[in-house]
Amino acid sequence: MNFVKRAFLYCFRQKVKTLILFLVLAIISTFLLTGLAIRDASEGATEDVQTAIGGKLFLEIDPANQYDSSQDGYGMTYTYNGDYITPEILDAISKVDGVVDYNSDNPRGFWGAGVDFEYLPAAFNLSYTPYGESSAYTAALSSEKSSDFESGKYSLVDGRHITSEDKYVVMISKELADYNKLSVGNIMTMYCLDSDGNVKLEIIGIFDGTEGTSGNGGFSVSDIPANCGYVDYTTMFENFGRKIDGYTQIDIYVEDPVSIQNVYDKVKDLPELRGKSLKLSIDTDEYDVVSTPLESLQQLVNITIIIISVVSVVILTLLLTIWIRGRKKEIGILLSIGKSKLNIILQIFTETIIVAVISFVASIPFSFSVAEKAGAFLVSRVTTGTANLNVQINAAYLLPLYLIGILLIAVAVIASSWTVVRSKPKVILTKMS
Amino acid sequence: MSIIKTCNVKYSYDGNRNVLKNIATDFEVGKIYAILGPSGCGKTTLLSLLGGLDSPSYGQVLFQGEDIEKKGLAYHRKNNVAFIFQSYNLIDYMTPAENVALTSKLPPLPILERLGLTKEEAKRNVLKLSGGQQQRVAIARALASDASVILADEPTGNLDEDTAVEITNILKECAHQMNKCVIIVTHSNELAKQADVTFCLKKGELQQL
Repeated sequence: MNFVKRAFLYCFRQKVKTLILFLVLAIISTFLLTGLAIRDASEGATEDVQTAIGGKLFLEIDPANQYDSSQDGYGMTYTYNGDYITPEILDAISKVDGVVDYNSDNPRGFWGAGVDFEYLPAAFNLSYTPYGESSAYTAALSSEKSSDFESGKYSLVDGRHITSEDKYVVMISKELADYNKLSVGNIMTMYCLDSDGNVKLEIIGIFDGTEGTSGNGGFSVSDIPANCGYVDYTTMFENFGRKIDGYTQIDIYVEDPVSIQNVYDKVKDLPELRGKSLKLSIDTDEYDVVSTPLESLQQLVNITIIIISVVSVVILTLLLTIWIRGRKKEIGILLSIGKSKLNIILQIFTETIIVAVISFVASIPFSFSVAEKAGAFLVSRVTTGTANLNVQINAAYLLPLYLIGILLIAVAVIASSWTVVRSKPKVILTKMS
Repeated sequence: MSIIKTCNVKYSYDGNRNVLKNIATDFEVGKIYAILGPSGCGKTTLLSLLGGLDSPSYGQVLFQGEDIEKKGLAYHRKNNVAFIFQSYNLIDYMTPAENVALTSKLPPLPILERLGLTKEEAKRNVLKLSGGQQQRVAIARALASDASVILADEPTGNLDEDTAVEITNILKECAHQMNKCVIIVTHSNELAKQADVTFCLKKGELQQL
């Protein structure tokens, strides 16, 4: 009779021990499945964050030693005389593998006074233009990528966002639009002090998120967020008062933050950037804010899986050691009829595997609810609720579970059989009798 | 014909005092041997050495002229010898048929029936059998292994007088009709009287009576 048949006989005839082993292995399996599922879910969540947020490079002019100074009646004036980020550079960057988009914001890059409309009033009316006070506009290549829209502070309620193709367009707040009964498609005329002329801008978008700011009593109209909007870069460049050769700063969006260093190296090596007074840096702040807690969660789960494995081996070893001590007679008999020690250990290993095969499958439905609850608990503890885990357990987990399970059982069986392996058959038979 | 032989076998538990001293004896097939001696004189130790459960401190055990350690003690136990113990030593979660099947690929029922067990008894749990029946199962297991040497340690020690006689007759049958070499360690003079050759183990030395 071979060891496999003996193992099956033992499992069927020793029902109480088999049931105890089944429960112990089911508990171990539940913990392991829970750990594996949470780890996979946190990995999935991290990937989702990577896709959703992406990575960002930041290219800006490097002002170090790039200023001309001049003295006038008001004091010293410094003028940047270095390189700008030109459309040629932008074009080259956009063609780099891994770059998905770019944007440049120039907050308060354009100032305009209302010729045919009025700003929401501030505490003081500083009428330093013929049309009253000017308010500030952010020049944007892609207003959708501007920080206030990305963070969700502002949202578009009508029309569309500004793109790099737009010329002489504007996005205004809903409050300002309502105040002047303006809508998408209307033309706003602004007086620009820098160019000393009127500029006609088409309203292409209206956003909200500034509600209530008009009542804050800002010192000037540009202190009231509802008075501030977005314009395209052409509007800024052509009305700045002096010639500008390009952008002062640009955010470069990278598809996968994990490969951001690779994209950084490629952009840095572009011929268009060589020798220019421009500074390139990696900006992963937004990604780090979300991904760091998830990485902490993954580390915690990995440690938990290791602890579960070690504890499982200890529990299984103790259980099997107790049972093997009670089976000395059987082991002595098997040795006396010529079964090798390896053959006997293989029988014990097979017995445990037979029970494990059934208990691991049986633990799947139970593990599902445990994993869900444990995942939610860990997320609330580690990520302060900023991330969601999609914890799922399915048949695909059986392969890693069985691999880990077989390894744990093998270690436990070898450890618990150690005293038997070391003893001479005669010693075992003597103790037996 | 000599089947198993001890050559100057010595055995010591502590490396100083020899329990067995220069045991050199031939055992032949077709004969039943009895080894008598007081408790603790080393009878079971000698049986363990013959059966490959332990190794001598000095000397060799030869099976058909070859040192049993050459092919390994487990091989020797599996192929050359079979044990019968005083306490039967059956595996308690198996039936008699399954216990016999441990050592043989042949169907166990004919052997069990030959030793007086019914088919129904052969499928019971061994713990539900009487002592005599359990010892018959142990003998059936030894016979099923087809080993040439049967080593019996107090085989009738736990049995009543009538059953002991029956078991003794079976062992005699094994030796004389099945041409096995049966070596019995016993305190029983009655059993020793049935042996073809009787030894006495005293102070570590084996003397033929």
